Amino acid sequence: MLALALLALLLWSVVYPNVAVIVGSFERGLGDWRAFAASPADLDALRGTIIVSIGSVVAALLVGVPLAFLLTRTEFRGRRVLSGVATLPAALPPLVGVLAFLFLYGESGVVTRLVQRLFGLHEPPWTLTGLTAVIFVHAYTMYVYVFLFVSAGLERYDTTLDEAAMGLGASRTLLLRRITLPLLTPSLAGAMLLVFMSALGSFSAPYVFGGGARVLATQILVSKLNGALGLAYVETTVLAVTAVLALLLLRWLEGRRRYSMAGKGRATRSALRSPVARALLPAAAAAVVILLVLPHAMVVLVSFARDGAWTTQLLPPEYTLDNYRKLATDQELWRPITNSVWMSVLATAANAVVCFAIAYVVVLSRAPGRKALALLAALPWAIPATAIALGLAATFDRNVPAQLRILLVGTFWILPLAYFIRNIPIVTSAIEGSLRQMDATLEDAARGLGASRWLALRRVVLPAARPGLVAGTMLAGVAAVGEFVASVVLYTHSNRPISVEILAQVRSLSFGTAAAYSVLLILLVLAITVGARWLEGRVAESERTVNAA
Amino acid sequence: MRSADPLRRTLTLACLALVAACGKGDGRTVLTVYSPHGKELLEYYEQGFERTHPDVDVQWVDMGSQEVLDRLRAEKANPQADLWFGAPAEIFARAAGEGLLAPYTPTWADKVPADARDAGAAWFGTYLTPEVIAYNNHAVTAAEAPKDWDDVLDPKWKGKVLIRDPIASGSMRAIFGAVLARSVVRTGSTAEGWEWLRRLDANTKEYVLNPALLYQKLGREEGTITLYNMPDIATLEQRTKTPVGYVIPSSGTPLLVDAIAVVKGAKHGDLATQFYEYVSTPQALRDAAVKFLRIPARTDIPTDSLPEIVRRARTEVKPMAGDQKLQRDSLDAWMKYWDANIRNSRRGK
Repeated sequence: MLALALLALLLWSVVYPNVAVIVGSFERGLGDWRAFAASPADLDALRGTIIVSIGSVVAALLVGVPLAFLLTRTEFRGRRVLSGVATLPAALPPLVGVLAFLFLYGESGVVTRLVQRLFGLHEPPWTLTGLTAVIFVHAYTMYVYVFLFVSAGLERYDTTLDEAAMGLGASRTLLLRRITLPLLTPSLAGAMLLVFMSALGSFSAPYVFGGGARVLATQILVSKLNGALGLAYVETTVLAVTAVLALLLLRWLEGRRRYSMAGKGRATRSALRSPVARALLPAAAAAVVILLVLPHAMVVLVSFARDGAWTTQLLPPEYTLDNYRKLATDQELWRPITNSVWMSVLATAANAVVCFAIAYVVVLSRAPGRKALALLAALPWAIPATAIALGLAATFDRNVPAQLRILLVGTFWILPLAYFIRNIPIVTSAIEGSLRQMDATLEDAARGLGASRWLALRRVVLPAARPGLVAGTMLAGVAAVGEFVASVVLYTHSNRPISVEILAQVRSLSFGTAAAYSVLLILLVLAITVGARWLEGRVAESERTVNAA
Repeated sequence: MRSADPLRRTLTLACLALVAACGKGDGRTVLTVYSPHGKELLEYYEQGFERTHPDVDVQWVDMGSQEVLDRLRAEKANPQADLWFGAPAEIFARAAGEGLLAPYTPTWADKVPADARDAGAAWFGTYLTPEVIAYNNHAVTAAEAPKDWDDVLDPKWKGKVLIRDPIASGSMRAIFGAVLARSVVRTGSTAEGWEWLRRLDANTKEYVLNPALLYQKLGREEGTITLYNMPDIATLEQRTKTPVGYVIPSSGTPLLVDAIAVVKGAKHGDLATQFYEYVSTPQALRDAAVKFLRIPARTDIPTDSLPEIVRRARTEVKPMAGDQKLQRDSLDAWMKYWDANIRNSRRGK
């Protein structure tokens, strides 16, 4: 019964809008598809999308893998600081990160001008436009996935295996090829998939640097603005299908080879032997730390800069508190912040309840249809946010109860719904992970001992699901509070979120206010992260007290 | 179990505080205005209107002209806006054709020229907006700056021209449309116009997402020339420290009619018409001219009551030759063709 209800909910909220988009793409028969195939701009965008996705995977691997090895395998001065900031890019909301990059590495950015002055160049040394710029930004924001996955893989990795292989006479390359890489394959594949998907649907970077680069995610918006809705549906369908194909391909690649380790991981850190490396490493680590912190620092700096005064100088020449004062005194300016908080709370609460139910059915029940449920719950992950937004806009723009359509476009509820849908996969998989670690017979045992279904759920299943529940809702909250891609398509004046307001401030030349909002957004993200950790700590503690009593 | 209580209490309190913080508004009626006119102008009228209508809360949403149309289309079944204030008449005409506007005949309907009003009263013109060539006057002297459209194609400006992304911009669409319509007048076909746009693409440094980034890049000399509308550039010159000057093209320039309309299905249609009238009184138009350098479309406002810049524009601007109707009918298809075939075809090569 529960399984069926959940299945119906997912069919309605996840599948139905996307089907509406696909149907919409055929509204004029094959006309819009032909237009797509004949349009050089669209083919260019498709090519751009694939280049950006593959380029981002490569770039993220190049940054993330060495950093993961360095931080888990070696001991050097500055390691703690570096590992402390290594995940910082994840705390930078998408649009904010892109704007920070513009101020730093854009043609008239701080770093660009610094290099130009240091070397006495007449022209800026580089321009931050086109696909390269997009990949550059992605390398910064998305390497974190690779870093986290590979670090986790290395933590489980038993380094005595390496010693054994070396003892048997294996060379370093052989060791890498036959032991290290195969063992890290699941981590690498997972991370690559995540980066590929994120890059495929990435909107903010191509949107801002987009004059020169075309990708499908932004081309959809261009078509929509031009009034060619049919073409926008075709582009959305192509993007979503590409994503699903990539998902299947990578899953298949991942499944082909599986290695596992017997025994518990035992990673050891060793100091470097070469004195040159030992001397250089802290310096290199310091440089990396600076690179990682710079975008945040830039946002903070701009939030104190007086608007309009900064033209050809290296750094903003005048500073002020006005940008924050405006936020504190203007009711209207405060609205986007309460909007974002409120909508993420609603969406995340719904995620917690629904995704817990899904994970429960998938992991602990034998209900028919649970496989389909698991598949549907993972689907929004493969569908780019622009596609989700367009699907919602196409489906819920009118009240036709017979077609299960309710009017949500133009209302407050459309954004919480979008956030909810986008976060289903991450919350569900986090809870599933926790439930799988629980002994499945525990619940039966509790029932057998006379506990009601509700009691068993509350005292056995829920505590087991808790770590995943907290981690998943935390990630969902962070994603929702800074969400931009779906928001910019679906917002209305009454529910405009922070990210949309940042763009509006940029539009009205108030870069300082935009930066002040960005700083608040970063603080919100930090508050959610810290809050979740605190909550987890408190609950764990209270549970220990209960058990002891 | 007791130890969990404080935690639960904290959470409950936090939720309550949140609900309280998100309490809805202050009981005033909300009038929603979609407009690309920019914060300063909108805030000015908002405050003025709210002074005489204390029970009304004017909320404006600032977005590109083309984005307004897109939004009205999406919200057709549940209109969120009451009034649409500002965009080229061409875009209003399309919205009227799609049944997105509610006809309203303002009290001053007969005071605007025939091409600044819709036959069905769906929209009326408020401002006339000439397009100009703007330059960074720190990097380019007035003598060096291009004097006419064709001067912008000079190879010496290669890699120096910044163009606001034309798809979302009413101004850029108007300029591109005028170039193509001029080509039809001169040669009978659009071929010459397309070649002109290709050469512009060759000189273009970058297509810029929004006006703010355009002004910033111009101010910071990432490029030194751009094409944009006079009021925005003149405001930028007067209001900020951005080093910018502009030239009214000598051979003529598209003179956009910037219009206003009530949204069909508006929840506060009555208030919308009141605001409509409020922003188009002679006094309000003079204010717009003095403070925001807008050129009034109403002809019953004496030129000598207007500031110098606006007077100059009113007398110096020659409308560009071209069939207005052809432009209105073809612009969408033209922009699509441009986006697919001309954007980036020669840029940076």
